[in-house]
Amino acid sequence: MTDIKKGPVSGSKPAAHVTIADRRQFLIGSAGLLGAATLGLGTGLGVRRARAQSRAEISFASAAFFGKETFGDLIKAFNESQDRVLVKNIELPPPSSSTEVYQGLVQQLARRTGTPDVFSQDVIWIAGFAAAGWALPLDEYFPADKRSAYFTGTLNACTYDGKLTALPWFMDSGMFYYRKDVLEKHGGKVPENWADMATIAAAAQKAGDVDFGYLWQGKQAEVLVCDAVEIITSNNGAILAPDGKSSLINQKAAVDAIQFLHDTINGTKISPQDVLSWDEEPSRQPFTSGKAMFMRNWSYVYPIAQDAKASQVVDKVGVAPLPAFPGGKRSACLGGYQLGVNANSKQREAAIELLTWLSSTETQHRIALNFGLAPTRPALFQDEKIKTEQPFMASLEKVFTGATARPITPEYAKVTLALQSGISKALVSGNVQAEMDALAAQINQIVG
Amino acid sequence: MTAAATVSGIGRPRLGKALPGAVWALLLLTPAFVSLASVSFYPIVNGLYLSLTNTSLITQENEFSGFSNYVQLWGDAQFWNAWWHTMWFTTASTILETAIGLGMALILCEAFKGRGLVRAAMLVPWAMPTVVTSKMFSWLFDGQNGIINYILLHAGLIDQNVNWYGSPDTAMTTIIIADVWKTTPFMALLLLTGLQTVPNSLIEAARMDGAKGWITFWYIRLPLLMPTLLIAGLFRALDAFRVFDLVYVLTGGGPADSTETLSTLSYKVLFSTLQFGYGSAVSTAMFVTEGIIALVFCLYLIRLIRRAQ
Repeated sequence: MTDIKKGPVSGSKPAAHVTIADRRQFLIGSAGLLGAATLGLGTGLGVRRARAQSRAEISFASAAFFGKETFGDLIKAFNESQDRVLVKNIELPPPSSSTEVYQGLVQQLARRTGTPDVFSQDVIWIAGFAAAGWALPLDEYFPADKRSAYFTGTLNACTYDGKLTALPWFMDSGMFYYRKDVLEKHGGKVPENWADMATIAAAAQKAGDVDFGYLWQGKQAEVLVCDAVEIITSNNGAILAPDGKSSLINQKAAVDAIQFLHDTINGTKISPQDVLSWDEEPSRQPFTSGKAMFMRNWSYVYPIAQDAKASQVVDKVGVAPLPAFPGGKRSACLGGYQLGVNANSKQREAAIELLTWLSSTETQHRIALNFGLAPTRPALFQDEKIKTEQPFMASLEKVFTGATARPITPEYAKVTLALQSGISKALVSGNVQAEMDALAAQINQIVG
Repeated sequence: MTAAATVSGIGRPRLGKALPGAVWALLLLTPAFVSLASVSFYPIVNGLYLSLTNTSLITQENEFSGFSNYVQLWGDAQFWNAWWHTMWFTTASTILETAIGLGMALILCEAFKGRGLVRAAMLVPWAMPTVVTSKMFSWLFDGQNGIINYILLHAGLIDQNVNWYGSPDTAMTTIIIADVWKTTPFMALLLLTGLQTVPNSLIEAARMDGAKGWITFWYIRLPLLMPTLLIAGLFRALDAFRVFDLVYVLTGGGPADSTETLSTLSYKVLFSTLQFGYGSAVSTAMFVTEGIIALVFCLYLIRLIRRAQ
């Protein structure tokens, strides 16, 4: 309670000034909708200022996503929806500049000043922020019964050292794209294991239906780690042991999985050698121009594939969970931004209120419709409005069920660089076991 | 107020007389010194200091750790891998650019129709932002649809598409080609100005003595061009050593670390993993290597000038 009073004393004037200007704009913008808007603007100013001063002021920082609206609009809506908390939006660079977003967040959090109070973070940063003590453990605010409303894989990614330090917000994952028309010719059944996939792809390639059987991303970059996580998990393997203190990447399950990727180029020859220098876009282009049968990629490809101006395969593309090895689980590498509360926030209650609102069913619904970002609550995939407006997204529930986090360790930034280099070496040289042994030793040194 | 004004009014000329010339000079140099120190000297010293600490934004450590970063660096295979790639890139691109640039300069030195236009057009690649060059080369050398593969395939020089950026054997070569294309005009320009300082009378005298083109070049132009050549080579080598944007855009250091250079490595260590201490050690090692390269060039240049005297 004291901090709620303290807030306005220290910084009410500039903040209140900004807010009123913002609100005025908002009110003018939506004057047509709000019958009482003009009245509010004319007579309500004094009242609003007084009210603003009794509100807890917090800040929210996030990478900037765009759609039919921005996160700034979202925050405005929250400010309008209640009169206890007033949120200032801090806009970070867009997610494509994720290294810059990361730096910006780390710099602010490391100051331990409590700004930003609430932030959004890429799934791979969660462990690092938690280990540094910057992210507030959320267990007491979100007990088990509240958590069951989210995908399990996402919750795992939000948990570090047994504590929930982030709240699921929106997600993406790797998925299996296939050409319906070509598949029809070759059995018509979406392959559920990798061996079947390779056989069908080779057959289609041999028959001349497509140039490439299977496209994936082998460039020495973050996406290679995602491709590796998926295929290793689908063989019941893992990159890190459950305790996160040692590497399992030189175990048979992982080695066989990486060997399979190597074989797609050199053995079964269902992938061109070019995948070794391809990240998402270069691999997407041959697929949407109709040259490939199967592809692993993120959800952004689907709208492009359905756009007649950019695609030769409109209405011919289907999406399924990626195949698995016999006895393995079909997995999808988890991406997306999750919410966190600054452990040094002086306005904890207010921060939790914003957090709860942002991750609520209603807000996730709004984000799904206005930004095209998929919800982390499985229930929303049954929502009628989402089903009609974002039918593709609604079909992804099965894919997201297999969502798997990348290695959860505070040293992720170092681990991923080692993984990118080691897996790239294995794929290029073909000495998978030897390279994985060297890589495991290197990772053990980082996390041990 | 008036008193103060008079005092200072009288005081000023006296002060000028009282101060010796050297002090005045130093006083006037102070602004330049302060600005240089703050933008150049301080960052270098701070970088050196950081390299002796274990500073990391993630672990929040910030303690003096002596030379432990350098010990780690000495045993770091990634670092030496990047170091050799950078040296190879620097050597290959500098030699190629100097040789081709010299050829271009010799042609542009001759009088022919449209020379002004050619001289201007020649500079276009150099004027282009490197990121644009990178994107252009990524299309030219694309493994599937690249025009280079198309030409080579139809000329019968290769029997299947080469995956230029996806194979460790060709990735670095391709990056060197891109750099040569971009920076040769700069070398040509520097060498052209050098060539123009060679007195025409010397060349005419040689011709009268019956010297042919090659002899004139080898015994008159080249020796006189040597200092320019070395200085241009030094500029180019130091610049090439810092190669970043081409690698960052084209390969990101892959495949299998085959194009990792010191700049991309230090960027990854500094800004992806936020290990400012160790990253600064990598940068310092770069700085030292560049210093050695510059030293070698300068010693050779000094020897050359002494011999000429």
